[in-house]
Amino acid sequence: MSGLRGREAVRLVARRELTQKLREKSFLISMGVTTLIIVLVAVLPPLLGAGGPKEYTLGATDGESAEIARAAAKVPGFDVEVEVERLSPAEASAAIDDGRVDAVLSGGELRSKEEPDDELVGIVQAASSQVRQAQALRAAGLEGAELQRALNPPPVKVTTVEPVDPERDRKGAFAFVAVLALYTQLLTFGYLLASGVVEEKASRVVEVLLSTIRPKDLLVGKIIGLGLLGFGQLFVMTAIGLLAAALSGALEVNGEILGAAALAVGWFVLGYTFYAGLFACAGALVPRQEELQSSMTPLTMLILVSFFVSFIVLDDPDGTLAHVTSFIPFSAPITMPPRIALGEAPAYEILIAIAVTLISALALIPLAGRIYSGAVLRTGSAIKLRDAWRATARAESRA
Amino acid sequence: MRIILGVLERDAGEVRWRGEPVDLATRARFGYMPEERGLYPKMRVRDQLAYFASLHGLSAAEAGAAADLWLERLGLTERAGDRVETLSLGNQQRVQLGVALVHGPELLVLDEPFSGLDPVGVDVLSGVLGGLAAEGVPVLFSSHQLELVERLCESVAIVKDGRLVASGRVEDLRSQGARAVTVRVAVQAVGDEWLARVPGAEVVDRGPDGVLVALNDGAGPEAVLDAARGAGTVTHFALERPTLSELFRQAVAA
Repeated sequence: MSGLRGREAVRLVARRELTQKLREKSFLISMGVTTLIIVLVAVLPPLLGAGGPKEYTLGATDGESAEIARAAAKVPGFDVEVEVERLSPAEASAAIDDGRVDAVLSGGELRSKEEPDDELVGIVQAASSQVRQAQALRAAGLEGAELQRALNPPPVKVTTVEPVDPERDRKGAFAFVAVLALYTQLLTFGYLLASGVVEEKASRVVEVLLSTIRPKDLLVGKIIGLGLLGFGQLFVMTAIGLLAAALSGALEVNGEILGAAALAVGWFVLGYTFYAGLFACAGALVPRQEELQSSMTPLTMLILVSFFVSFIVLDDPDGTLAHVTSFIPFSAPITMPPRIALGEAPAYEILIAIAVTLISALALIPLAGRIYSGAVLRTGSAIKLRDAWRATARAESRA
Repeated sequence: MRIILGVLERDAGEVRWRGEPVDLATRARFGYMPEERGLYPKMRVRDQLAYFASLHGLSAAEAGAAADLWLERLGLTERAGDRVETLSLGNQQRVQLGVALVHGPELLVLDEPFSGLDPVGVDVLSGVLGGLAAEGVPVLFSSHQLELVERLCESVAIVKDGRLVASGRVEDLRSQGARAVTVRVAVQAVGDEWLARVPGAEVVDRGPDGVLVALNDGAGPEAVLDAARGAGTVTHFALERPTLSELFRQAVAA
């Protein structure tokens, strides 16, 4: 029987983290609930009819209005379905109030309860001018084929330089879910790690541990154990989510989506590696769980800011902000995956972003390890970062 | 103790075990119980023991067997599957001891192991420590309960302000005390004014069993006894060696 090699100690610590968390009821319950939410998000929209053409019911109180309403249903260029309901002027107000119709057209006026959708207004305006023009042209004596030609000029053809992705909207939804999942997962596992460090410190068990193993091995073991758990959890949830989305028809799961999903899970590993050491330090610096929140604030703020930036990125995945934040290690894990999911990140940018994040994570770990080692055995009050740094410097100079 | 176990940096000096400087591998063969007890509150008792056994280098199977063995020896078998936080403080203390012992250490270092124990707990712990010492495992512990130390220990060291002020075998220390001879003597219904007639006698302590007299300048116990007889009926007369508590007071006051 002799001392453990560092690797073996890391393995034992990691295994304990993993098995203890997996036996915690609260952890299993929260994972179950999250999975359920993901399945609902993937399954519900198509079941509720979201994503198909928009449907409007238009009331009409006179003949001309009814003609306009019928014409509105045929206006080209809009993905809408219009149902026309003939109402007496007396019924109109009640129909608007109880929501039976979205709007009522009467004598050249469109009335609705709240401000109507732009699309609805657009097709009604177009239909109205079409009908009025037809009347005017007929009055001017135009008939037959000539009238038809005048009323139906060839539509303006829309072309784009870049090919239009018919799946764009669905990919956007997928990218949004990916951002949400990464943000939640990074915050959750950062917090789990930090509070695990505090637990050991507050319960003083860390002193027994460190009489046998090195602080560095304990830290790395904890990071790896929880990291594997976070990775596994995200992997399982992604698989279930994609399966549910595929079965419900919400998303066409093809190679491109699978690749983006795999990269998103991979980005969790990168982001976690970057943030884990920092969260562990935040835990090592405070004596009690109650003080953890404040020492983690700078880190949670970084993640939160990245999260908000990612909304801008979702909107404009090729913008300046999207490009810049993809290469900043603390934001890249949250802002890069949506760009990848939307197909807006060239391969070389992905590689550079991965390299930048990975290198800075690897550079950060020894620094974090030093602060952790200097702080974790000091009990009593909160410790200043500088003191933790120096404590280890003294220890090393003597060793 | 914390320096021995490497959780505190030394200012000076060196820690050696069997002639070799102590490193991580050596420390893995030590058992340690810190003054501030530390266990994972949410971990189950058996898991905890097995985990610490494997951290000390035991294989998974060995660690499990060692955990079971110590659960039985410490009377915790029924609580094996309970979370540590649900145990009474006394039982938590036993688990803590188990953590220090589970890997069969070469040396046991215990910081205030008896603090917070009830008399039964003290007996159990004394028995375990005595057994280990008999098996040849050195047990080093700190305590402020000096009667207990006197009863259990072969050697003691008294430390004051980080300096060793006295050390050695308990027997030697007691017989080498500054006052080589003290006698406790009681004379019925009389005070201790008669002692003034004995040259070199000095009252150290007055108690229900009589006065404790230190004999200086070559004065002999016989002279005290003779003077006492002269004063009245002697109800108690005994040679007394200093207790550890007295030695401690002396050493610390010096």
